[in-house]
Amino acid sequence: MKLLSIIREEFKTIAGSFAILLVLMGGIFMYGLLYNYMYAPDLVRKVPVAVVDRSHSELSRKYVRLLNATPQVNIVTTSVEYPEARDMMKQDLVAGILYLPEDFEDRVGRGEQSIFIVYESTSAFLYYLALQEASASSMLALNDDYRPEMLVFLPSQSAAKLSAAQAVSVVGTALYNPTKGYGTYLIPAVLIVIMFQTLLMVIGMVSGDERHSGSIVRLAGTPVNLSFGQMAQVVIGKTFVYGILYAVFALFLLGLIPYMFGLPDIGHPLYIIMLMIPFLMATSFFGLTASLFFTDGDAPLLMIAFFSVGLIFLSGVSYPLELMPWYWKLTHYLIPAAPATMAYVKLNSMGASMVEIQSEYITLWVQCIFYFITACLVYRYNIRKAGCFGQKNIRTN
Amino acid sequence: MISNKHNAFQSVLRRELDRMVSRRLYFGVCIVLPLFCIFFMSTIFGNGQMENIPVGIVDQDETVLSREVVRQVEAVPTFKVTKHYADQEAARRATQTKEIYGYLVIPNNFEADATAGREATLAYYYHYALLSVGGEVHGAFETVLRQISTGPIVMQATALGIDEEQITTFLVPVRASNHPLFNPDLDYSIYLSNPFFFIFFQVIILLTTVYAVGSEIKFGTGREWLSAAGGNIVVAVGGKLLPYTVIFSLMSILANYVMFGVMHIPFSCGFWPLNGTAILFVISTQALGLFIFSLFPALSLIISIVSMVGSLGATLSGVTFPAPSMYAPVYYTSYLFPVRHFTEIYQNLLYGDYGFAYTWVNFAALAAFLLPALLLLPRLKKAVLSPKWALPVESWSWNTDNTNK
Repeated sequence: MKLLSIIREEFKTIAGSFAILLVLMGGIFMYGLLYNYMYAPDLVRKVPVAVVDRSHSELSRKYVRLLNATPQVNIVTTSVEYPEARDMMKQDLVAGILYLPEDFEDRVGRGEQSIFIVYESTSAFLYYLALQEASASSMLALNDDYRPEMLVFLPSQSAAKLSAAQAVSVVGTALYNPTKGYGTYLIPAVLIVIMFQTLLMVIGMVSGDERHSGSIVRLAGTPVNLSFGQMAQVVIGKTFVYGILYAVFALFLLGLIPYMFGLPDIGHPLYIIMLMIPFLMATSFFGLTASLFFTDGDAPLLMIAFFSVGLIFLSGVSYPLELMPWYWKLTHYLIPAAPATMAYVKLNSMGASMVEIQSEYITLWVQCIFYFITACLVYRYNIRKAGCFGQKNIRTN
Repeated sequence: MISNKHNAFQSVLRRELDRMVSRRLYFGVCIVLPLFCIFFMSTIFGNGQMENIPVGIVDQDETVLSREVVRQVEAVPTFKVTKHYADQEAARRATQTKEIYGYLVIPNNFEADATAGREATLAYYYHYALLSVGGEVHGAFETVLRQISTGPIVMQATALGIDEEQITTFLVPVRASNHPLFNPDLDYSIYLSNPFFFIFFQVIILLTTVYAVGSEIKFGTGREWLSAAGGNIVVAVGGKLLPYTVIFSLMSILANYVMFGVMHIPFSCGFWPLNGTAILFVISTQALGLFIFSLFPALSLIISIVSMVGSLGATLSGVTFPAPSMYAPVYYTSYLFPVRHFTEIYQNLLYGDYGFAYTWVNFAALAAFLLPALLLLPRLKKAVLSPKWALPVESWSWNTDNTNK
């Protein structure tokens, strides 16, 4: 088969299969929108908290007011004892308990440090982080209010000198995620994984069907030509089709979606296109290589779908690569989705240039070369294997 | 009659076992993939602690005081100070290439300003495009620098002969004591390894169930399957899915053993309540798969739908982004997924074994997933017997074209 007819056939196969169109439409368009909707709240706000106020003092009420004023916290009740508060936590009615001890105000009045206790549920780390942030900021506000009153406990002549001394100010700045949101952090990574996974599924369904029906043999042409050149034509032809389709999908996922949902989008479009080229090629070659295991049109999905979240981990976006054992670091370099996800986050969320994604970019090109060769070899093997009984099938058609 | 049914059940079971060993695919999805998931989730986080995260320091001051600050930052276990940068630009660039996850800037004249009582600033930057690491870096910087920030005042006070306790009381009259319950070290393996194994696993269970039943229709062996069951669809489905239930249950128990036994993830309840819950979870996930397939028994379409539905489980389990913080429609939809109920029960069991009183609704929900699957069995039987579903989907939907040819 000539390159052009391979391309035409591939387009026909994809356009003629309900299942493939479903994966493309559902996977790309539905998922793209759905994920944004699911993570649209972006920040954990109004975490329900129960307050156990044993102090019943002005100070404790003041602290409770300050805490409730933070966006992260919503105080559900202030009139419970500790056991009841625990019970509310068991029922998932609250995610945190603030415990203000009996001597909360008295200690401050005596010139001693007063301590309150915050118990946080760790069922989701975001709850914990939100509560910690809220309790720390309201604590700072309370302390600033009370510090002048504490001056009386210091030797009188030192007060003036001490207030002259200034604490070093500490300023922390979060880089690259202006809303500090969870969605704005995760979704860019998810978009790349969606592209990778759906393309693998499509390749799995197409090549699995080819092998199952035996129609894979037609790719070798008549008379049967299993030369590397012919196999390269098959691999290039198929990849060309996927590349065209995914150029459109990438425009939707990486162009339109960030724009619609206000995701970080400071990457240079040209750089993102330059990244997509080796990413899509490597993914296609990777998928065609994996077709070694795809024996019918439906089975490949069993091997692909479960690992979507795993790819996010492997990309190093959610957990630092440096802390993983060596074999997962190695795997990071073997699966195109992993370096591509990281590179995309760098370009698009962090405004990096090509220099800063150098290592990922080179990795992707090396993968392209390697998986191109393996894809050709696998196709030759698959055609040869389908050979004898496949020919028969074709004739009966 | 009863012995008849018994025989039918046995023959379906034996037939299924034959099918399972006849294709490598089943070995892959029943044994290899679950083992891979157990291995992946139990090793991916290293030792689970966010320690030795690479950070940088820009010390433009180069004085005794600034070096003291550097020493204190280097002593924080969360950090590994990998590099000192000459200027902020270089450090920012290194953050962009992800060489470091954050950096501290000690400005020029820091020591002079701090000791003279002028405004001195320590600025730190942390990576928030990578939120989970960034959060840790932020927290660690905040803790160590807040301590340092009061340095000038403490110094002044000591000079005046005020003891340190007195001065800290003056500076921080009210102090918070944070207690993250169940996972005090905020260990990522404790937090994620177990729930995410089951999130991966439910996708495998859903797909395998759909494939095992659907392949009968697709490959035209449905009638043979049903006749082995003596025409009884309950026996047919039961005998078919039982081997998978057993294998997946054993895999869940193995996963629990690896995580709670070998990795020593703490748990408040006994080992068997966990396993019992996991087995119920396996069954109800199978039921969900069977239900979705029975709705529209075209394998190739349903298997792609189910693989997408299954992938939503990761989000809707509410393990990472808490479900109550999502929009109401998403929050309520999450309860249509067995994995959500499973997560709620497991967290309850692990974090304090609060008791059945708090989880019976979730248990009931898991059991309830069986109902719709059972109700649709007659429909499934019709589909198995009907020739329509055995053909490729394209041929009966696009068939006007085909007949014209």
